[in-house]
Amino acid sequence: MFRRNNIASRIFQRQIYTPAPGTSVYCARRFYENLVPSCTIYDVECPDQSFRKFTDDGQYLISFSRNQQDLVVYRPTWLSFSCKEEDCDAHDLPPKAKRFESFFTHLYSVSLASCNGNELICKDFFLYVESNQYGIIATSTPSIHDAAANGAAIQGVPYVEKLTFHLIRLEDGVILDVKVFHNDFVNLTHNMGVFLYDDLLAIASLRNQTIHILQIRDSGNLVDVRAIGAFCREDDELFLNSNAQCIAFPDKSKLHQLPGNNVQNGTHLSQPNQEDSLLSGIKQRLLSFIFQGISNEEKDPALRAQWLKKKFYFRFQDYVDLIIWKVQFLDRQHLLIKFGSVDGGVSRNADQHTAFLAVYNMETTEIVAFYQNSAEELYLLFERFCDHFHTASKNSVSMNFVSSHSNNIHALEQIRSVKSKASSQFMKKMLGSLPYSCQSLSPSPYFDQSLFRFDEKLISASDRPRQSTDHPIKFILRRQPCSLKFKIKLGPEAGNADGRTKKIASFLFHPFLPLALSIQQTLFLQQPSVVNIHFRG
Amino acid sequence: MGSMLGDWPSCDPHNFSKLRRADPSIPSRMMPATYHRTHSRTLPPPDQVITTEAKNILLRHIYRSAEEENDLRPKRAATKHLIPEHGCKQPRATSY
Repeated sequence: MFRRNNIASRIFQRQIYTPAPGTSVYCARRFYENLVPSCTIYDVECPDQSFRKFTDDGQYLISFSRNQQDLVVYRPTWLSFSCKEEDCDAHDLPPKAKRFESFFTHLYSVSLASCNGNELICKDFFLYVESNQYGIIATSTPSIHDAAANGAAIQGVPYVEKLTFHLIRLEDGVILDVKVFHNDFVNLTHNMGVFLYDDLLAIASLRNQTIHILQIRDSGNLVDVRAIGAFCREDDELFLNSNAQCIAFPDKSKLHQLPGNNVQNGTHLSQPNQEDSLLSGIKQRLLSFIFQGISNEEKDPALRAQWLKKKFYFRFQDYVDLIIWKVQFLDRQHLLIKFGSVDGGVSRNADQHTAFLAVYNMETTEIVAFYQNSAEELYLLFERFCDHFHTASKNSVSMNFVSSHSNNIHALEQIRSVKSKASSQFMKKMLGSLPYSCQSLSPSPYFDQSLFRFDEKLISASDRPRQSTDHPIKFILRRQPCSLKFKIKLGPEAGNADGRTKKIASFLFHPFLPLALSIQQTLFLQQPSVVNIHFRG
Repeated sequence: MGSMLGDWPSCDPHNFSKLRRADPSIPSRMMPATYHRTHSRTLPPPDQVITTEAKNILLRHIYRSAEEENDLRPKRAATKHLIPEHGCKQPRATSY
């Protein structure tokens, strides 16, 4: 379809044409082809802080102090200065405009981590509740590795003495509520261990193998909803404890049953204090689902026992040893849970370990589906319905329009071309991103694949830092005339003297303003980071 | 009751003269017959309520494949039930 490039013509055209049904957001976004952050202020003098992200509604810039004890919140504003002369375009910005404070107004700083308690803010973790403008920040004591297992804890997983989640009203910095975990471990790097969906928060405790579901009330309270792990329903523990009191001696005949024979979900008797007690909670649900699935594969009842022996009992201990790695919501009732071995749970190269994905219904406490992380069936669901894995809150308008291979033809063509070259490894790699981490993608229109083409190895909507490059990162118009619209360059034209120092770069794009921050850090050296501001001049 | 088209302006008033009925009491053969249904197969059930499906499409697919496995049907290749119902739909090369 022919579209004019000139912004004035586009505005006139907008007065006449209504967009096709369901495309009003995409049509409005096309104006971002004309409004691009083409000017850069290099190495802006700014407070030495660790800038985390813009909130998804664009109201706040969240950063943490360098000592990781304070939360500092800014309001993104815009330049305002006037030029009284006739030919203003030829003038550069005045020096006073090229400051951090011209773009960001400091709102407040809140101290979250106490100095004497050796707690620090986890600077990789931040979640935003858009409906109420609440932020969730975590502070923790240092993690202790090689910890011995005790009680329900898993050996091999580190733990922290105290982990606190703070619910903060970002409007004024008031701490509304806290949730504290003791002697536990939650993987907080890039929001991995916590998932926010609407007002529900799922926290995956790796050490105690429990998924804590909390609700964020409008009043600002964090309310426990349920804890899935050793128990599935809210009253399971009460039921088991009351039964344990009634039964004076254990029923020995029941102890000889293998746990896998408990195909009736939800009906079992176990003595919780015995060492060789039956498996309970989500582990029991999982194993009985696997048992049923394998049993159904063999139609002939006479051969079924042999089939089960080969496929289930032979690997029984491996199934029992599976632990919860990661969790996300698929909707308010369903969780997507990743199970794997203890080694893979905390390692960086989790892709190399075998893992399984299970869909769990919290209301019926049943496992609905179980896949290996290289299953083709799961990959096809992922390819077609990727947006339903990126469960965005209904309240968040911007997050529902992030480009993915399920809603964008260019992204789909890209992954299909990669898939055609190396199918099975590619499927496993793509499924390795499941379950997704919450709020890890930027909703900025400059990452819309229908508008711009850019090198995804150098920059993308994901907020993970990448290896820095001296070359400018080009954003090229997707449609004709496929011209270069703007560049993001991390350093001034002269380049850097020391080309061998490894640097990483991270990019923070404002959700709707043509404003971005690029932050370059030198690894292994204590140099302060270099911050550049990219904006529409 | 006047004729259906007899009173409308026309370049030639005789064009629709055949439709003009002098005697309104004579039943007109031009009137289409009213349809009377002879069966009740297509009636909706009296207690039918139409609502939005609570589960999203991803979960519907997951539940459907789980039900098919539980029905003990012969195992089919994973791709079969994932073919879109409207097989003619192809992604457009240009968006909107």
